Amino acid sequence: MNTSYPLVIESGLFTLLLAVFLLGLVRRRADDLLAGWVTLVGLAGLTLAAWSAEPGRVALEGSFVLDELSLFGKRLFLLSGLLSVLATLAMTHPSFRRRGTEYYVVFLASLLGMLVLASARDLIVLFVAFELMSIPLYFLTGFLKGEDAAPEGAMKFFLIGSISSAVILYGLSFVYGAAGTTNMAAIPPAVAVGDPLMLLGLGLMLGGLGFKIAAVPFHMWVPDTYEAANTPFVAWISIAPKAAGFVAILRLYVEGVGEAAVLWVPLIATLAAVSIVAGNLMAIPQKNIKRLLAYSGVAHIGYLLLGLAAMSVSGVGMVLFYLVAYLFGNMGAFFVVQAVNGAEQSDDVEAYRGLARRSPMLALSLLLFLLSLGGIPFMAGFWAKLFVFWAAIEQGMYLLAFLGAVLTVVALYYYLVVARRMYIEDPAVPTPIPVPAPLMVAIGGCLAGIIVMGVYPEPWVQAFLRVALTLFSTN
Amino acid sequence: MGLYAYLSLAAVVFSIGLFGVMTRRNTVGILLGIELMLNAVNINLVAFSRFHGEVTGMVLTVFAICITVAEVALGLSIVILLFRTRRTAMADHVDWLKG
Repeated sequence: MNTSYPLVIESGLFTLLLAVFLLGLVRRRADDLLAGWVTLVGLAGLTLAAWSAEPGRVALEGSFVLDELSLFGKRLFLLSGLLSVLATLAMTHPSFRRRGTEYYVVFLASLLGMLVLASARDLIVLFVAFELMSIPLYFLTGFLKGEDAAPEGAMKFFLIGSISSAVILYGLSFVYGAAGTTNMAAIPPAVAVGDPLMLLGLGLMLGGLGFKIAAVPFHMWVPDTYEAANTPFVAWISIAPKAAGFVAILRLYVEGVGEAAVLWVPLIATLAAVSIVAGNLMAIPQKNIKRLLAYSGVAHIGYLLLGLAAMSVSGVGMVLFYLVAYLFGNMGAFFVVQAVNGAEQSDDVEAYRGLARRSPMLALSLLLFLLSLGGIPFMAGFWAKLFVFWAAIEQGMYLLAFLGAVLTVVALYYYLVVARRMYIEDPAVPTPIPVPAPLMVAIGGCLAGIIVMGVYPEPWVQAFLRVALTLFSTN
Repeated sequence: MGLYAYLSLAAVVFSIGLFGVMTRRNTVGILLGIELMLNAVNINLVAFSRFHGEVTGMVLTVFAICITVAEVALGLSIVILLFRTRRTAMADHVDWLKG
């Protein structure tokens, strides 16, 4: 494959999308599994292509760049998409299988939006990519339309998503007005001189992006959407669109801005503190494990913002590390939830009673994922938390780091409540839980991820610091 | 009229839209509010484009209009789906997910 053309991964994904679409037209009543496998193989190939791609090229007169950050984003989106499709292949829901091809086509369209977003250096490309990513997500949330909750979850997600899009676009119009061009290279000079229109625009956009990454107070849609949608999809939206939001934030507020980026620290630090506190506290009373993971996800967004608030090379590098650690831990936890739901038809924490005696491996996997999310040593999540706290302390934000560390204990409490149900209580039914083969592979992949990153974080840290350095060194 | 007259008009339209989104109980009404917010953006973009004598703002406006149509079409289909299962288009009645 000729990787010298910057848009090669996007072109490949678009071809895959068309292929799956045509397959759906030709094999109208067929079982969806073929479309699923084609999607899986195609995504695996594209992931490999993304890993072998070299940074440092631009296309479309600088509107589309293939730099270190965009490659990081593309690899993360493709990897999470791959894991999600693997888990989707294990969905046995009849109404899902019948319309499976539709699901994959729309899923790939959203993924295409993310890949383009990672490379956007122009406001028009940024906006179009953002919408290409978001609109399919509303559709996919309501995909199981026969279920009672699905249309309601889709409706709430749609309304809040489109309001946030309108706010982002309103902010974007001011950014364009202040810069006089849609090229994002014009943003740093205007921020440096403190152009009020530019600051107004970027402030509005930060509010809109806050909705997309689900920071408190813009998080209301998260638990309802997670509860309503099918689990492999939830595993994916718990990380990929949020990572996309962070990539957009890094592009708009950090890249090339240099010292003036300190301007955003109070705002981001406040969002971080509120998200950490509210997310963790609201997770405690949850009885449904998807809602529990949703609120804990809000808290994780807070920790990510904490790293971002440091506005330093190490802070941004550790945000990237945290995103990858969170990808493996959170997706893995959702995959175990999917396996248990397949057997029990329930997402209640109650359904996890005695899981260790029914399926010891499944229980151990969930325990490891939760411990990684909680930040126990020698799991990926431990280093992730340690590194963001370290980055915050380096910049003298002792109070914020202390707050984060205290709330980590609260997070451990509600994770261990689930662990207690699995390990100490007796099961209601002693039969083991069947795990379909693709789902087992997905869980295994996530386990490998958190353990490798936990035991041997060094090369990852170096790679992410290098990415962060490119953001601060331009101009 | 200067640039700021147009910006003020856009701000007023945006605020009316936001007010509608906050206060409307009917989901179709909320969608109308979102439409107003997005049209305020278009006024802004065209005004800035004209003011700078630069055409990319108008290009962005055309993109914004097209994408908004796709978004609202999906929104209306979700409203219809909701109406089929619940027999209501009122946001207040959609309250099965809680906690």
